[in-house]
Amino acid sequence: MSFFRRKRLFSILLGLIILVGLIGFSLRDRDQLSSVEEFFHDAVGWAQQIVLAPVNYTTRLVQNINNLSNLYDENQVLKENLAQYQQTLYEVKELRNENDELMALLDKTESITDYTPIQATVTARSPEQWFKQVTIDKGKQDGIQPDMAVITAEGMIGKVQSASQFTSSVLLLNGFDRSNRIAVNVNLTDGDQDARGFILGYNEERDQLVLEFTEYYDDMVEGEPVFSSGLGGVFPKGLEIGTIEEVTTDQYGLTQIAYVSPSANLSDLNHVIVVDRGLPTINDNDEVEEE
Amino acid sequence: MSRVYLPLILLFLLVMQGAMIELIPARFDELGWLIVIHSVFLFLVLFTMFYDLENTYYALFFAILFGFLIDAVYTNILGVYMFSYAISIYFVHGMRKLLHANFYVASLLAFVGVGLVDFLLYLIYYATDVTQMHMTDYLMNRMIPTMVVNLIIFLIFYALFKRKLVKWSKERFDEKRSTN
Repeated sequence: MSFFRRKRLFSILLGLIILVGLIGFSLRDRDQLSSVEEFFHDAVGWAQQIVLAPVNYTTRLVQNINNLSNLYDENQVLKENLAQYQQTLYEVKELRNENDELMALLDKTESITDYTPIQATVTARSPEQWFKQVTIDKGKQDGIQPDMAVITAEGMIGKVQSASQFTSSVLLLNGFDRSNRIAVNVNLTDGDQDARGFILGYNEERDQLVLEFTEYYDDMVEGEPVFSSGLGGVFPKGLEIGTIEEVTTDQYGLTQIAYVSPSANLSDLNHVIVVDRGLPTINDNDEVEEE
Repeated sequence: MSRVYLPLILLFLLVMQGAMIELIPARFDELGWLIVIHSVFLFLVLFTMFYDLENTYYALFFAILFGFLIDAVYTNILGVYMFSYAISIYFVHGMRKLLHANFYVASLLAFVGVGLVDFLLYLIYYATDVTQMHMTDYLMNRMIPTMVVNLIIFLIFYALFKRKLVKWSKERFDEKRSTN
């Protein structure tokens, strides 16, 4: 231990070198965590599931009590909606049957919209608020792979950033940047074609996602829902992402952009669904090619 | 027994950090304040002040170990917490030699130490482009609220752990001296 005292400057310099080395190691574009990291993830993940269970239970209880106050109004609205859904449900059933028949006719069984849901629970959030990261209690053993989309009932919340054997960490939508784009579609009011674009990242000041369109659409209106298009090759088609809040142009006035507010509540997460796309993704293809 | 208890307490605090964000009232978030609770670091400050002797560096060892764990578990960039915690605990340890280990000095060092940790984190994350926040925004919205909240938590920790740490320290190091 006297080593630290005698060679103070030496130790600090050594620390700096280790720091730079480790940062370089972790900023590298890597697909897999090292096994050491996986081990710590899983070990702490287990402890979190045990220790944080009562904490999470209490916070949820408090939230539930808060929600009780507007229960009556909500119930009235929901009842009205339910009556309308009966009609839609019938239509959806008919369309689904028709779709199945047509697909069978074409001998086409797989679709870009297909996915297998994996249920998971959020166990912890990163205390460092610059990392928009949560931990879920399912990992590689449950079939989770990096880059899978993560959704709640309301819409998409993010993607799996790294998977360990028994836990995984999820990057939330408000931590997205240019290196993880989502290809999206927006319904146009008239015309058969959807408007296509990309989610480029998150605008911290506005608390909204930035959508860049590939073309210029004159009839783009605010309030339209934004869905994933599945053309990015990672996520399935048809995951709800948010609604358009404002349509404008970028800082040079050349491309049309829109601000999208996420439909899912990103600050209050509990049960989530990890989406395993049915069709092979870009990442799978890479692996096949490598082999 | 302290050899077992101390890492266990630190591990418990590390695990609890995953729920800390839930405990911060949503109103702070609306004000635009980013509050990070460095509970592991606060315990390490107490550890250095009241458990370590002047020539032992157990707290520094645990700062490196648990800093690395925080990096691995809660962020995806290794080494940042490890380095910041280690430097700050080393600083606190150095100051402890100059000043008496009493309540006021401990609170002051915890206050300054948390500021130092958080500022180092900001510098490294700014350099690696994790955050694009400007210095003035950072000082107003993150550093000052974080330092104040952490000071309050430090006072709670002081009340909870100070006597235990002094007791454990005596048990461990006095035994060694008598056997030598």
